[in-house]
Amino acid sequence: MASIALNLKTFVGLRQASPENNPITALAKPSSTTTAARKQLRINAAKTSPKVTGRNLRVAVVGGGPAGGSAAETLAKGGIETFLIERKLDNCKPCGGAIPLCMVGEFDLPLDIIDRRVTKMKMISPSNVAVDIGQTLKPHEYIGMVRREVLDAFLRDRAATAGATLINGLFLKMEMPSSKTAPYRLHYTDYNAKTGVSGGKKTLEVDAVIGADGANSRIAKSINAGDYEYAIAFQERVKIPDEKMKYYEDLAEMYVGDDVSPDFYGWVFPKCDHVAVGTGTVTHKPDIKKFQLATRLRARDKIAGGKIIRVEAHPIPEHPRPRRLLDRAALVGDAAGYVTKCSGEGIYFAAKSGRMCAEAIVEGSENGKRMVEEGDLRKYLEKWDKTYWPTYKVLDVLQKLFYRSNPAREAFVEMCADEYVQKMTFDSYLYKKVAPGNPIEDLKLAVNTIGSLVRANALRREMDKLSV
Amino acid sequence: MSIALFSSPPATHLPSPSSPHSTAKTQLALRHFISWRPKKQPPFWVFAENGAGSTSTAAIVEEDKAAAAEEKVSEDKKEESLGSNGSVAVDAAAAPAPVTAFQDPRWIGGTWDLTQFQKDGKTDWDAVIDAEARRRKWLQDNPESSNNDNPIVFDTSIIPWWAWIKRYHLPEAELLNGRAAMIGFFMAYVVDSLTGVGLVDQMGNFFCKTLLFVAVVGVLVIRKNEDIETVKKLLEESTFYDKQWQATWQDETSSSSMKD
Repeated sequence: MASIALNLKTFVGLRQASPENNPITALAKPSSTTTAARKQLRINAAKTSPKVTGRNLRVAVVGGGPAGGSAAETLAKGGIETFLIERKLDNCKPCGGAIPLCMVGEFDLPLDIIDRRVTKMKMISPSNVAVDIGQTLKPHEYIGMVRREVLDAFLRDRAATAGATLINGLFLKMEMPSSKTAPYRLHYTDYNAKTGVSGGKKTLEVDAVIGADGANSRIAKSINAGDYEYAIAFQERVKIPDEKMKYYEDLAEMYVGDDVSPDFYGWVFPKCDHVAVGTGTVTHKPDIKKFQLATRLRARDKIAGGKIIRVEAHPIPEHPRPRRLLDRAALVGDAAGYVTKCSGEGIYFAAKSGRMCAEAIVEGSENGKRMVEEGDLRKYLEKWDKTYWPTYKVLDVLQKLFYRSNPAREAFVEMCADEYVQKMTFDSYLYKKVAPGNPIEDLKLAVNTIGSLVRANALRREMDKLSV
Repeated sequence: MSIALFSSPPATHLPSPSSPHSTAKTQLALRHFISWRPKKQPPFWVFAENGAGSTSTAAIVEEDKAAAAEEKVSEDKKEESLGSNGSVAVDAAAAPAPVTAFQDPRWIGGTWDLTQFQKDGKTDWDAVIDAEARRRKWLQDNPESSNNDNPIVFDTSIIPWWAWIKRYHLPEAELLNGRAAMIGFFMAYVVDSLTGVGLVDQMGNFFCKTLLFVAVVGVLVIRKNEDIETVKKLLEESTFYDKQWQATWQDETSSSSMKD
């Protein structure tokens, strides 16, 4: 490190001092010798049109959820001046709250954040055939259930400790830069300003923006990212008696059926001391209350005597926005639309995309020494699509195949009884890698799937004959 | 508030769950309550976490109590063994009355008792298929709560593969083979009359072999007129998600060309 600093210092000595010379950060000028020295730092600085900045790069992260928190932390650790804007620091985001095992390791989450470890799941078909899955899990594997307010606060505080400036305020609008080096001007209302209760309207100038402000992202609107289809997830938190709660100690349930949702599933997820009963839909949003009643009816015996303590709903994106990036403003997490189909999982992908985008900025700016440009942020999109596209596609195919109709759902639940299916499902879910299976088993699985689908559809034809 | 209006009627019916008549009325009122609610509360699905929460909580808590009463009532009903057959005719008469669990003397312990399906000393698989279809139809119209004490463990794969083939595959295979044979004979005749090439020589020709392939695939894939539309939609549907993901890259090529 010292030798490189020496290199830089001698190099600076060769140049004429510029008025912007900041004594803390060394000026960086592109040249072959410098890049050769830099290679030891493993930062690749091949830029088409590199820019110079006399101070650290400033980046604003709008939205302090998992995406914003992890992006801000990575940026701050990378030496970038980071501003994290969050409007509600104690927000209890309505959410299933499930995180895969790999998230705990990758994001160094302390184990006390996790309220429950779900190791069993019950899939319940339209005709109430119930299948238990989870026997293939190893003792250390589980799905973590967290409270969003706890997780979000932890990630934000860690970002602040790493050096990010946490601003409690509401983002209002953003002015696009006038040139490739001009800053973005963000207008926000600061809730902590000393001038009265509503706080003052403030402006922030930054060089790049990460939009992590969720499904109704304002940053997305500012960059004309386009719209996406979204599902409504509706959830009721029910406090059930202790003996019933024991059943849900480490078990989550998934109900499928036309009565519960025409294109999604109903669920009962255990939380810290109560359960969340909910359902969702994309295509029949006005009927969501009907679906919720049906979900509660299906779970009736198991949540009998429960008291509803909270009702909540939130949109969930179904696919990425047409534009996830414009100039030096990028979207991550729900704002970009990174929720998987079939399972509707978003927390891990939000945090990971925030981190990836921040890493791309850190790399493109060489730890904050250079201005970034759109190409640097595109690298984050490239890496993201390359790494997770198979996961998203497989889940899309599964949703199209198995959430189509009641026979398809019956077949789905029948397939879940198969041990190979359980192992593959959990491996892919917990580690976020589409695991390559055993080809013989895959063939058997394909044959069994077709068999189940054929049988279920044949039964449906019989059912239709009955109704006539 | 309209919600309060709907909350009150079931509440007044709650105190007398024991006699069958009043239970019928409770269930009736309850069904009306359940079917009316969605229409009266369109704005509630809009995501207002706190605003809608308080009022609908009150209404939902009421309904929860009613649902708990209904559960007790249906357990009483099971003793009465209403609708022992669970067949469609009985359904029609019993529809407005209490929602009972699926009942059938051959449905024991969450699965079909195969010993009751014997015919000439062998299991009558067709009857099993019919019974299961009836059960699923019943559940489709009257969704039931899933119960841990009476889990449903029936798996359609216990019905052997040849039973399914005999019942569903063979008739359709006969139909499709018939169609293919008719098309084949007709086309062979037409090609022979137009070109003078006999059947054996036609089979040696590449173009004819392609035609044969297209005819076979067409007969397999297009079984009803609607299938043509379905196949077209399927192709579009399978690539739709990919296109949504690629959208951001389309944007890049246009913007980068603008920049340069």
